[in-house]
Amino acid sequence: MSDPRVENGVEGIPTVADFARIFRRLQGEIHKAIVGHEQAIEELLSALFAGGHVLIEGVPGTGKTTLVKALGQALNLSFNRIQFTVDLMPADITGTRVILSGADGRREFSFQPGPIFCHILLGDEINRATPKTQSALLEAMAERQVTAGGVTHPLAPPYFVMATLNPIEMEGTYPLPEAQLDRFLFKVRLGYPGEDEMVRIIGATTGADESPVEPVFAAGAAAGAIEQLKRLVREVLVSPAVEQYAARMVRATQPQNSRVLGDLHSPIKLDVVSRYVSFGSSPRGAQALILGAKVRALLDGRANIAFEDIDRGAPAALEHRIMLNYAAHTDNVDAPQIVEEVVKAVQQMRR
Amino acid sequence: VAENRREEQKLWLIVFQIKAVRTRLNLLAIQFWIFLTAAVLLGAAALIFLSAVALNPMLFLGVAILILILAAATTIQVARAALRRTASPRRAAAIADDRAALKGRLATVLALAETPPPSPLWLYLVEDTYSMRQRFEPSAVEPRWVSRSIFAPLAACLVAASLLAVVRYEKRGPNNVVYAPPTELTADLGNLDIRPADPSVGANARVFADPSTLRQLAAKLAQAEKTEANRSSVSRWVSKARQLASSLQDQVTGQKALKNQPLTLNLRGDKSQPPDNGASPPAGDQSGNDSGGGPIMPPAGAPTAGGGAPSQPPPAIPSNESNQLAQEGMPASSGDNSTGEPQDQSGPKVGSGYVGQAGSSHSAGSDPGHLFGPASPQVLGSESFRLTVDARPIDEASSGGAPAYLPPKVRVTLNSQQFPDEPLARTAVSSDDQATIKRVFER
Repeated sequence: MSDPRVENGVEGIPTVADFARIFRRLQGEIHKAIVGHEQAIEELLSALFAGGHVLIEGVPGTGKTTLVKALGQALNLSFNRIQFTVDLMPADITGTRVILSGADGRREFSFQPGPIFCHILLGDEINRATPKTQSALLEAMAERQVTAGGVTHPLAPPYFVMATLNPIEMEGTYPLPEAQLDRFLFKVRLGYPGEDEMVRIIGATTGADESPVEPVFAAGAAAGAIEQLKRLVREVLVSPAVEQYAARMVRATQPQNSRVLGDLHSPIKLDVVSRYVSFGSSPRGAQALILGAKVRALLDGRANIAFEDIDRGAPAALEHRIMLNYAAHTDNVDAPQIVEEVVKAVQQMRR
Repeated sequence: VAENRREEQKLWLIVFQIKAVRTRLNLLAIQFWIFLTAAVLLGAAALIFLSAVALNPMLFLGVAILILILAAATTIQVARAALRRTASPRRAAAIADDRAALKGRLATVLALAETPPPSPLWLYLVEDTYSMRQRFEPSAVEPRWVSRSIFAPLAACLVAASLLAVVRYEKRGPNNVVYAPPTELTADLGNLDIRPADPSVGANARVFADPSTLRQLAAKLAQAEKTEANRSSVSRWVSKARQLASSLQDQVTGQKALKNQPLTLNLRGDKSQPPDNGASPPAGDQSGNDSGGGPIMPPAGAPTAGGGAPSQPPPAIPSNESNQLAQEGMPASSGDNSTGEPQDQSGPKVGSGYVGQAGSSHSAGSDPGHLFGPASPQVLGSESFRLTVDARPIDEASSGGAPAYLPPKVRVTLNSQQFPDEPLARTAVSSDDQATIKRVFER
C-alpha cells in the first residue's frame, strides 16, 4: 500500500482534479478534529490556496484553536501560535536583535526570529494586543517579510496567518484597525454547534480513542505542493462579465456608490448601505471575491468562475471590510445583513 | 499541432453553437415584437371601433385620441422590450449557461475565444465545455420555435371579432330604427334656437311665415350673428372638432351620413315680442341661411307657446314619416295648433288631428283601411313628438342611426279640443276580429 502522504504529493503541474482531491482530503483530515463547521473549514482552506489570511471570529470553546492546529497538522507545515495579550510587544512577535558572543570573543548583534517565522501562524485573540503589536503583523501578512534592525527577513512560503477574535469579553480589548482587517482575505465565523454536532463532539473528545490528524502532504513536499496548487488557483479563467460583477458588488458596499447601481434602464438603490455603512469595501474585497471564487470553481471541477462562486464567497470576503455607522448599531443592523442586501441587489443586475 | 487544431475545431463548434442559440433567441424576440405590436394595434382598433359605436362624437374623439396615444406608447414599450430580448453572442452564451446550468463556461469561452489566454486551464475549459455540448444545443436551450406572444394577437383578433359581431347584431336589432329628419316642419319662432351656420354649409331650407314673423326672424338672425361674433375661438374649434369627430365616427363605423333633404319650415310668430322691431323683413320666403341664419333648431324640450297662421299652407307630411311618427306614438301633426285656433290645412282632416296622405294616427279617427298594419315595435305612450328639425345636424351629428344620436324634441301642448289619450300599440288581430273591429269603428 502506498504512502498516502506521497500519493497526495503533486508531481508536476497539478490538474483540476488533483486540486479537488487534495482539498477534499484536507477537509476530511480536519474534520477528524473538528465536528461541523463545514463552511468555515472550506473558507479556511480557500484562503490558504488563494494566498490570503483568515480572521476567525467565534465565542470561546467553538474550536478556533483546534481548527487551526488541525490544519497545521494536515498540511504538515511548521506551525506557531501566539497568544496575544495586552503586554505583548511587537518584538515578541517579529523577533529581535540580541548581542551574542562569538567564538573569538567578539560580541555582535544577531537577529533572533520570533514566532512569526513559520508557515502557519495562529494569532489567538488578536484583539487583546495593543494596536502597535497588532500592526506588527501587517508587514508580515501583506509582504511576507519582516524587517528588524534595518534588515528584511523573508518569510518562507506558504505563509498563512490565522487570527482569532473573541466577540465577547470586549473589555480591555483593542478592535483591529481597519487597515489590518482589510489584510485578511476572509473572515470566518464559528458559531455554536448544533445538537447533533454537539453529541458528536462529546463522543469524539471524551472517549479514549482519538483519531489523530494525518498529514496530507509528505514532509518537505508540502510547501512546494501548496505553492503549485496556489498557482493553479491563479490560472483559473475569469470572464470580463464576472470581473465586472465582482467590481459592482464591491462598489455596492460603498455608500457613495450604492445610491444608483446598474444601468439607466434598471437603476437599483441600496438604501441600507447609504444609511448604515460609513465605509465600504476596498478593492481588496474584489480580489478576495475573485480568488475565493477561483478556489470554488476548481473544487467544482471547473476552470472558470461562475457568478454563483462570487455570491457564495461574498459574506466571508466583504463582511469585515464594511464599517458600520452609529445608526446601524442603534437599529441593530450588522454587516452580514448588509452583505446579504448587496448580493441580492447585484444579482438583480445580473439578470 | 494536431492537438491544437483539434482544440480549435472544438472551440469553433462551441462558438457556432452559441451563435445558433443566439439566432433562435433573436427569432423569438422578433416574433415577440411582431405579435405584440399586432396585438396592440388590433386592440386599439377594436377599442376605437367600440367607442365610435357607443359614444357621442366628442367623447369618441377624446377616447380615440387617448387610445391612439396609449397604443403608440405601448408599441414603443413593446419595441423596447423586444430589443431587450434580443441577444448578443455574449448574452446568448449567458442565457445558455443559465438554462443549461453550465456555470459560466460558455460565457467564459466566448469572452476569451478571440485571444485565448496562455493559461494551462484554457484547453481544459474548452474540452470541458465541448463535452457538454449537448446541453447547450439550441433546441435544449430554447425548445420553442414560435413565441408564446402569438397568443396576444390571437386574443385581440378574438375580441375584435366578437365586438364586430355584437355591433352587427345590434345594428340588425329591432330597436335600432333610423329616423330620417322630416322635410317639413311647423314651429314657433320663439322656440327656435338660431345660430349662424358654417360657411361651408349650403342653404337647405325654405321658410314660410307671415311678415311679422319674418321680421322677428330677421331680428333673431341679427342677434344670432352678433352672438356668434362674440363667440370665442375655443367654441369655434370645439365646433370644428365636433364635426371632425362626427365624420371620423361615421368613417370608422362605416355609416353614411343621411343625405340632407330640403326642409320646408313654417314659422309662427312669437307673441311675446312686438311684431315690428325695426328690422326689415325679407319678403315671402327665405332660403336657409342666406340671410345670415343657419341651421334652425328648436330647443330640446321647449314648450310651444302658441302659433300663428302660416302664410303658406303646410304641405302634407310624407306618408312614410307619418308612419314613423305614428309608430313612436307621436301625433303626426305638422300643423299643430296648440292655441286651439283653427288652421288652414291643405291636407285632409279627420277628427281633430291632421292626417297626411295615407298616414294613420292612434289618437284620432282615421280611415278604417289604415287601422291594421304590422305590429308596433315598441311600447307607445308619449304625448310629445320628436322631429329632427336641423337639416344638417350639428350637435348630435351622428347620422346613420348611431345609438348615441338623440334628435331634439318639440313639445306641443294640447288645445281645448284635444284630449290626451293613450295610444295603443298595434298588435296582431285575427281576420274575424278585424271585420268586427272595422264594423264597430265605422259605426
